[in-house]
Formats: sequence, C-alpha cells, structure tokens
Amino acid sequence: MKDECIIEILDSGSLVSFSEEQLVVIRAHTQSCVGCADAYSAVVISSAVIKERVQTTIEPSPFFQTRVLAALREQQAAENVPVLSRLWKSAGVLVSSMAVTTAALAALSFMVPSPVAPVAEQTATAYSAESVLLDQANEEQMSYEQVLSTIYADENEAK
Amino acid sequence: MEGWLTRIATNTCLNMVRSAKRRPELTVSDLTEDENKWLDEQLSDVASEPARSVEQTLIASDLADRVLGVLPPEDQLALLMMDGEDATVKEVAEATGWSESNVKVRAFRARKKLREAMEKLLSHKKKVEVR
Repeated sequence: MKDECIIEILDSGSLVSFSEEQLVVIRAHTQSCVGCADAYSAVVISSAVIKERVQTTIEPSPFFQTRVLAALREQQAAENVPVLSRLWKSAGVLVSSMAVTTAALAALSFMVPSPVAPVAEQTATAYSAESVLLDQANEEQMSYEQVLSTIYADENEAK
Repeated sequence: MEGWLTRIATNTCLNMVRSAKRRPELTVSDLTEDENKWLDEQLSDVASEPARSVEQTLIASDLADRVLGVLPPEDQLALLMMDGEDATVKEVAEATGWSESNVKVRAFRARKKLREAMEKLLSHKKKVEVR
C-alpha cells in the first residue's frame, strides 16, 4: 500500500469511524513504514485531544447570552424590515452616486453651450468656397475705368 | 425555531473565537511540562486506551486548546462536531448553515492540518529530547 493512500484514509474520517479491518491494515502498514507510523501516531493523539476537548464542559462567559440575544434581536429586526428597504440599505450609496453622476452629465450636456458650434458658423459665413479658391475675399470690385486704365497706360488710347 | 436558535448561537460562538488571536504554529516550547508529560503518556500507549485522572483531563483540555488553536475557528467547529460529538454531515450543515459539501471539505482539511501540526510537534519533541 502506498504511503499517500494510508494518509488519505487517516484524513478521510475520525479514528472511531474506521472499521476493524481498516485499522488492522493501517497498523500492519505502520510496522514497515516510518512516515505512516508517525502520521498514525499523530492521528491517534489528535483524536485523544479532540475527545478530551469535547468532554470538557465549558462555562460560557457572562456576555455570551447577551451576545446571542443581541444577534437574535438583530436578525428579527432585519426580518421585519421590508425587502425594498433592505435593498436600499445595501445598494443605496451606489444607486445615489450613479444618479448624481447621471444628473451631472445631463446638466453638462444640455445647459452648458458647446464652444465648437459658433466657430464653425463664423467660418462658414466668413469664407465661401469661391473666395477661398480665388482669394478674392477682401478685394474691392474694380470699376470699369480703373480696369481700362490699368490695361492701357495712355488715357486716350483707352477711350 | 430550534435550528434557527442553534445557528445564531453557533455563529456567535464563531465570532467570539474569531476575535481571539489564532496561533499559526505550535511548537514544543509552547507546551507546559504537564502537557509534555501527557503527550509522552499518549505516545507510549498509542495502541491502547490510557487511564485518565481529573488532573490529566484538565491538562489534556489545555493542550487541546493549544493544538486546535492552529486551525481556523470554522475548521475547529467542523472537527469537534464531527469527530468529537459524532455529528453527521447533515447535522453540522444544519447547525452552521454551510452546505454539506462545504462541511465535508472543511472536516477533511481540518483533519489534515491537525495531523500535520501534530506530526510537526512530535518530531520537534523527539529532536529536543535527543539533544
């Protein structure tokens, strides 16, 4: 039998719960295996320790009854509170913070004017496609006479 | 009503034990002379049932507190109920509110931890005695 197997059996239940056959097998194995013998000794002593612990009657502290009664009252109070109220108690902070954030975002979106829109409008009115392409935006329209005088240096020739 | 009250009392006990400081490891130096003697008697008589006096029972109880102190309170409870009071998995589950598989796992882990702690303590004890 493998060592691990014996140790696994020892951990699987209390010493009292093992059958006589199992105990015979375990004891036989511990004769030849030092590791399992140590594990078996440890289990036997642990079992004795647990037995002793259970047999000792412990007087509860004077506060124990008070604590139990307090826990009882707390649980009763919790059961009397409506479900929605209990939900609100546990998730109230989260829901409130989410509502505040949503309200703040809504206020920012609808109330504060967007700085991008007027700039676009201004741009649209200041430059038309033609003026941008021909670069004639700020040029004044020349009169017919001015054009002629520019082309023809001599005034008489122009006439 | 009985089960409900048992569960509340169990949880209150667990909370009280949780608040007590847990020792992660147990060494021979933590034991008193009487506890060492008790361990020796147990070791010399592993196969048979040793005779117990009232004094020995008290010593053993103190030692039990120390030894079980290496386990988390929940594991102590599972082990004491199942191995000490012979409670079934179902009974422990009802008293604690844990699932039955959780009880089984806790009891298995608790036995393993306790065995390992005890093995460590005994081997340390042997080494100290050799010196």
